Amino acid sequence: MIRGLPRRIAGLLATLLAASFVIFAAVYAAPGDPAVLLSGSRQELTPEKLAAVRAEHHLDDPLVVQYGRWLWDGLQGDLGRSFQYRDHVADLIGARLPTTLELVAYATVFFVVLGVGSGVLAALRRGWVDSAVVGGTTLAASVPAFVAAIALVSLFGVRLGWFPVTGQGEGLTGRLHHLTLPAFALALSALAVISRVTRQAMAEAYASDHVEAARASGQTERQIVVRHVLRNALGPIVTMCGLVMAGMLAGTVVVETAFGLSGVGSLLVSAITTHDFPVTQAVLLLMVIGYVVVTTLVDLVHPLIDPRVAPGGTPGRKPEGKTA
Amino acid sequence: MRTKLCTTAVGLAGALLLTAGCSGATSGSGGATVDPAKLKLTDTTPKATGAATTVNWIVEQEPASLDMDAQGGSSTRTVMANICERLLLLRPDMTTTPRLAKKAEYTGDKKLVITLRDDVTFHDGAKMTADDVVWSLKRHARPEMNESDEYEDVDTIAKTGPSEVTVTFKKPSALFTKALAGDAGIIMEREAVEKQGDDFGTPGHPDACTGPYRLKSWNSGSSLTIERYADYWDKSVRPLTKEVVFRWASGSALVNSVSTGAADGAYLTATGPAAVLSKKKGIRAYYGQSTTAWSLSPTKSGALKDARLRKALSLAMDRKGIAKSGFNGLAEPWATPVGPGAWGYEKAAFQKAQKDLEHNGAYTASPSSDDIARAKKLVEQAGAPGEPIIVSSDGSESQTVITNAVRGAAQKIGLKVTVKTIASSRYDEFFSDPKSRDGFDLIPVDWYISKADPAGFYDNGITGNSNNWLGYSDKGYDALVGKAQQTIDDRERAELVIDAQKKFADDAVWIPLVQVPSVMVLGDKYTGPPASMVSMYYPWAADLGTKKG
Repeated sequence: MIRGLPRRIAGLLATLLAASFVIFAAVYAAPGDPAVLLSGSRQELTPEKLAAVRAEHHLDDPLVVQYGRWLWDGLQGDLGRSFQYRDHVADLIGARLPTTLELVAYATVFFVVLGVGSGVLAALRRGWVDSAVVGGTTLAASVPAFVAAIALVSLFGVRLGWFPVTGQGEGLTGRLHHLTLPAFALALSALAVISRVTRQAMAEAYASDHVEAARASGQTERQIVVRHVLRNALGPIVTMCGLVMAGMLAGTVVVETAFGLSGVGSLLVSAITTHDFPVTQAVLLLMVIGYVVVTTLVDLVHPLIDPRVAPGGTPGRKPEGKTA
Repeated sequence: MRTKLCTTAVGLAGALLLTAGCSGATSGSGGATVDPAKLKLTDTTPKATGAATTVNWIVEQEPASLDMDAQGGSSTRTVMANICERLLLLRPDMTTTPRLAKKAEYTGDKKLVITLRDDVTFHDGAKMTADDVVWSLKRHARPEMNESDEYEDVDTIAKTGPSEVTVTFKKPSALFTKALAGDAGIIMEREAVEKQGDDFGTPGHPDACTGPYRLKSWNSGSSLTIERYADYWDKSVRPLTKEVVFRWASGSALVNSVSTGAADGAYLTATGPAAVLSKKKGIRAYYGQSTTAWSLSPTKSGALKDARLRKALSLAMDRKGIAKSGFNGLAEPWATPVGPGAWGYEKAAFQKAQKDLEHNGAYTASPSSDDIARAKKLVEQAGAPGEPIIVSSDGSESQTVITNAVRGAAQKIGLKVTVKTIASSRYDEFFSDPKSRDGFDLIPVDWYISKADPAGFYDNGITGNSNNWLGYSDKGYDALVGKAQQTIDDRERAELVIDAQKKFADDAVWIPLVQVPSVMVLGDKYTGPPASMVSMYYPWAADLGTKKG
C-alpha cells in the first residue's frame, strides 16, 4: 500500500491541476460580465467606470495569464479577494465550511444508520418487512431533496414548530437542532441507495459457499450473520457510503438554500450568479478536492476491511491472486 | 396555506384594510387580492414607547461589504443606514433636512457652502472635522466608487473654515444636495478607514461612522449585529432597542423565518413574500412610499422606433391586471417611470401632474373600448410591422406577467409579439452592454432612484444617455432636463421636471406600468420604524421599540 502512495498522490495532484484549469476556463467562459457587479447599481453604469473596474481586477488579460496568476497566488496560499464581498476568499470559505461539513457529517450518520439498518433488516426478514423496506426506499429515492426540504420545513418547522426553519444555530445542541431537518432532507435519497446496496450485498453473501459451510459446521444463525454475512457484505457497503458522502460534499446547495443555511453550497450559488470568479473557482476546486480525497480514502480503506481486495487491484480478486 | 375570511372588517376598514387584524383576507396569490386603488401608503408606524433588548431582523442578502463606496445593495444600505450618517438626512416623508451639516446653502450658481456641526463624534470617540468631510466627499468622487456619478459636475471640494467645507461646480447642480442625503453624503473618519486599508468593510473590522448604532460583530455567513452607541452625539435621539441582529434569507426561507417568529421584521423588495406574510397572525405588513416603478423600455432595434406604435401599445396595456396578478395587488397602475417616493418637494404639483397624465396622453389603468379603438387607429397610421415585436423576460413572476400582458395588449390592436426568455445574468447585461440588447425590442425594467427628486430620473431620456436604449433624441426635452438639473429653486425645478415628464410620456420614451411600494413586515409586539423606502438612508432602528413601555 505504501509503495503505491507516491503514484496515488501524483495522480491526485494531476487530477486537481486539470480540474482547476477546467474550472477556471469554464467560469471564465460563462456568460455575464463581472465588471457589472463590481460597478454597483445599474443607474451608475458608465463605459468609463466599467473600463476602470476591468483594469483594476485584470479582467481584460488573456485567460492563460489570469489562470497563471491565480494558480501562482493560490499555491502561495492566497486565493484572492471576493469580487462581491471584498473579503479574502479563504476567510469567506473558512466561515462557511464548518456548516457544510457538519451538515454532510450529520446526513452521513442518518443515511449510514438508517440505510444500513433498513438494508440489513430487509435482508434478514424476507417477506412483508423486505417488501416494505424496498417500497419505502423506492419512494424515498424518488423524492428530490428540495421537495423533501419544503415538506419537512412546512410540517416540522412551520406547522408543528419543533425545529427552526432557518440558520445554523449556536453551540452543539443548537447546531443539532438546526441541522436535523436539513441533514435528513439531504440524507433521504442516499438512505435509499445505501439500504438497497446493503440488502443486495447481504443477499449475495448469504448465497455464498462459505455461509453454507459455516451453517453445516453448526454455527448459530446470529454468528453466521455477524461473522460471515455482514463482514463479507461490508466492502461494497463502505464503498458506496464513501461515494455517496463524497457526492454530498458537492450537493448541499439545494438544502442549504431551502433552509437558509450559510454553507459553501449557497456561497457557490451566489458566487456563480454574481460572476464572483475568485469565490466560484475556489469553492468548485474545494469540492473537487473533497470528492477526490474521500474516494481515495475509501480506496485505501477497502482492502483493510476486505482482505480479498488487493490495494490498487480490482475488487473481488481472490487472495491467491495477490502478488505482494 | 390558510385563508382567513373577514369580510365585514374589510368592508368597514376600507382603506385601512392592510393594517387591520384580519389582514389575511386582503392579499395572497390565488386568493383575494388587494385592490390597488385602496392600497394605503404609510410613511411611518406608530411611535414605540417600550424598550427591547434584541430584535432579529431579516435582510434579503448578506451585505457584501460594509464599505458603501465599494458596494451598495439594498441589504447593505438597510443595515448601514443605522450606523453611518450623512451631511443631510432623508426623512420618512422623503423630504430632506440638515444632519451632520448645520446647513448647506448655495451662495452662488456654482458654489455650495456646507457648515458643519461642532458636536459630532465618530464611534471611536474622535471628533468629526472639516478634514474628515473633505476626505469623505473626495473618496466618494473617485471614479471607481459607487457614488462617483453624483460628483460629475463637481469642480473642487475644499475646507474653507474650521467647520466649513465649500464645493464648487463646473455648472449649477441642483441634485447635489439631494445626493448628500444619500450615500454620496456619508461622512467617515479618515484615520480609521486609512488604517484598515483594503480590509475596511470586511468582517472583523470596526465601522468609521457617527450614527446612533455601531457595528458590534459580523460573523461572515451567519449574522451581523449592531448595538446602540452609548456616547452618540445627538442626546435627543434615544433608541429603545439595544441590539439588532441581522440574518439573511430570501424566498420561502424568509417567509418561514418571519412567520415562525425567528425574525421580528424585514423590509421587502418583492411583493410575493409580502402577500403571504400579511396573512399570518401576529405579523403586520406596512406599505410605504418608494421610487420603484416597472416600465417597458423600448430599444432602437425594432418597430417600436415609431412613437405611434409605442403609444398604441401603452394605450392597450392592462396595468390593473399586471398589478393584481404580477404583484399580488400590492402595486399600483402608474403613469410615470418613478414612484411617488421621488416627490421629495412640491409634492402636490407632482401629484397633480401624475393625475393629468392619467387622463390625457397614452396612459390608461385598464383600457376601455375607446382606448383600444384609438390604439388601433395609431397602428393603422403607422402600419403594422411584418416582424413580431420581441419582448425579453427573465422568467420571474413579475416579468412573466408583464410580458403576457404585452402579448395580450398587442393582440388586441393587431401587433404580433414574441416573448424570449433569458437567464437573469443575461438580463443584467442589458444595462451595461448595448450589444446584449440586439434582437430585443422591448425590455421590462424595474427602476428606482436613490434621490427623492424625479429630475434624477429624466436624464435617462436625454440624447446619448447610456440608459436611453431607444436612442430618443429631442432638443426640447434635452434642454428642459438640463435646465431642471441646474435650477436650484425647488418650485421652478418642479415645473421644468413636470414639463419634461409630460414630453417623456407623450413620446412614450418608456412605457410606465406600475409603481411598487416599499414593504415592511413587523411582529405584532414591535412598532416605530418607517415603512417608506427611506429605510436605506435613515436610521430606522433608532425608532424601533415595543408597543408598551
